[in-house]
Amino acid sequence: MKPSRTLSPYLFAAPALAVFAFAVLVPFATTGYYSLNEWNGYGDMIFVGVQNYVDAVADTVFQTSFVNVVVYILVTLVVEVLVGLLLAGLVLTVRRGSIWFRVAIFTPVMLPMVVVALLWSFVYNPDFGLLNAALTELGLQEWTRVWLGDEQTALLAICVVSGWVFAGFYMTIFYAALRQVPSEVVEAARLDGAGEWTIFWRVRVPIIRNAIEVAVLLCVTGGFQSFDLFYVMTNGGPFHATEIPTTYLVQAVFRTGEVGYGSAMAVILTIVVVAAGLILVALRATADREGRAHRRLLAKAKEAVQ
Amino acid sequence: MNRKWIAAAALALTGAMTVGLAGCAGGSSGGGDDKTLRIAMGSPGEAQIAVWESIAEEFEAANEGWKVDLNFQDDDMYQTIGLPNLLNGRNAPDIYFEWVGNRLLQRNADGFAADLTEQVESGALADVLDPELYTTTTVDDKILMVPHIADVSNVIWYNVDMLAEHDIDPPETWEDLLKACDTLSAAGVVPIASGNKDFWAAGNWLGHLVSRVVGADAYDEALSGEASFDTPEWKQAFGYIEELHEHGCVNESANAIDDNEGAQLFFQEKAAMHAIGSWLVSWAIDEAPDLTFDFVNLPAMPDEVDADSVEGVITGHVVNAKSSPEKIEKAAEFLAMLHTPENTEKFVGAEAVPVDATVSEIIDERTVRLNSLLGEAAVVISPADTGYDLEVADAFYRALAEVMAGRTSADEAVTQLAQQVE
Repeated sequence: MKPSRTLSPYLFAAPALAVFAFAVLVPFATTGYYSLNEWNGYGDMIFVGVQNYVDAVADTVFQTSFVNVVVYILVTLVVEVLVGLLLAGLVLTVRRGSIWFRVAIFTPVMLPMVVVALLWSFVYNPDFGLLNAALTELGLQEWTRVWLGDEQTALLAICVVSGWVFAGFYMTIFYAALRQVPSEVVEAARLDGAGEWTIFWRVRVPIIRNAIEVAVLLCVTGGFQSFDLFYVMTNGGPFHATEIPTTYLVQAVFRTGEVGYGSAMAVILTIVVVAAGLILVALRATADREGRAHRRLLAKAKEAVQ
Repeated sequence: MNRKWIAAAALALTGAMTVGLAGCAGGSSGGGDDKTLRIAMGSPGEAQIAVWESIAEEFEAANEGWKVDLNFQDDDMYQTIGLPNLLNGRNAPDIYFEWVGNRLLQRNADGFAADLTEQVESGALADVLDPELYTTTTVDDKILMVPHIADVSNVIWYNVDMLAEHDIDPPETWEDLLKACDTLSAAGVVPIASGNKDFWAAGNWLGHLVSRVVGADAYDEALSGEASFDTPEWKQAFGYIEELHEHGCVNESANAIDDNEGAQLFFQEKAAMHAIGSWLVSWAIDEAPDLTFDFVNLPAMPDEVDADSVEGVITGHVVNAKSSPEKIEKAAEFLAMLHTPENTEKFVGAEAVPVDATVSEIIDERTVRLNSLLGEAAVVISPADTGYDLEVADAFYRALAEVMAGRTSADEAVTQLAQQVE
């Protein structure tokens, strides 16, 4: 008699699905429900329909927060992904002892973000901090700033910290990908007279394109989800110069008790992040299709020649 | 295939809901019928925590079968979402710390503040405190809070030696203050240190300043939403903050550093003055024991309405109205125990001076003078963030911070503030 397998797949998947539903689906559904109400977290809920969404879209600070987070993402694409790629290329050239370089560069990734934020708050402190003190000692007093208090510098200062932390993370991803590049291809390029820089940009980087696309996707979606660095270092200040959607909605929920409004902002943010992810995936799929079509054409041309 | 997906999703959701409901079972607010007295507050520091724990032991020894559960939360968390969550959760506190003002009114409106009138008149709290002390904690003829500590929330602290070194007298008028700023700035010293990253530090001080100019009544009406900010009087008041910026009175980093860092500028003698509340006394004694410092109330403002007004905040403890009658009685007994002479002395030793403390050798004489300042003031105003709606207070503090930083003019700030809150 054959055992019944109708139920067993569901039973095996049920625990993981239950956790997923409890930790993701149910909170998402309840957040959506809260977003349709005016609620302070403990009193009566008043149904307001989409009014919270209308208010959020019209909220100039919420609009500014999206501008700030997009700027943050664009800068971190450079200071995290690009710098990570360059560091990976440099580390690849180290014949012996590269592991120590990799450990050193990766170490900031292992630090809790709150610790990083506190550490760099000290570095950036305008009165006692390391950066202004160093600039003063070097005779560059005119370069000192209130780094986290100046609207011109606060966001960039946070981006630098982000780069310091995550460049090592992307370096690790790219290093692993670069190690997979076939040595014959590299040797062939060398024999053709290509220099190391040309080999890196024209041979290795195109081959690890998939890893770069994944890194860009991680950077973009991760950027939208940033919170702890901004919260600890500036909490959206000075005067909303570093306000991002997450800090603003946390303030709405946990400070002014606007749970419904904060929930609406959270839903909008989720939609934006999902849309960004889908766009990137769609672009990647389009590029893959074009690449495959290009390779088919080349193969046909080769056959025709032969 | 579709049926399989539906079955999997249904199974997952059922499992999740079961786990969720099981976790949430037990109901929400209410003190419970058990013999545990639950007390919640923001963290008052190690020294005071020790006093609370000793009082808890004393209560348990005197009430067989009863236990006391003390819950100390992070201050910022408690002041915002922490307390409401506790009050609406399982095992809500029976006694909780609160500020007089809008917050107490809100707790009363939400049904979380027990009427202690009977306890005060003839129950466990009879003759514990001077009846006058309940004036500010009485709402609609109901005593809702037992006051514990009264703080002056803004004075100008000054470094005695630094002012003397620059031949400056403690400023008593606005003109004195601006002259002091000019002299100190020229000498490379920060005139007034402020750490206003969270907006309340300078907000308290500048709020007091503008209230002097517009008058306590106008201050109260505007923050309560009963009058507009967009008036010539408010613009005039904010104009004085512009003058502070023009004279370089406040450290450039004020809006980038928090209150701890602002105080450090004063403790490390990089700033000659620091505008903050009475809690600086014990803090400075701990952090900078060699610092010679004293205070003046906010200097007299030109054309001020309420001369010599003081900004103060009274805090105390509220009994949860949703606790059982037995627990409300026990809560009143506990609060009475808090105010015995022995425990009052313990709090004084922990650098918290209760409202019923008498002058003694262990209380710093600056604290005694501050208590007199508060007690004798004809007009006392509340800081915006503890006395009024938090959203209005935040907008008010942001407007003050913007003018202090020179980012916005007084007129623009007042107009924008009015648009935001009205």
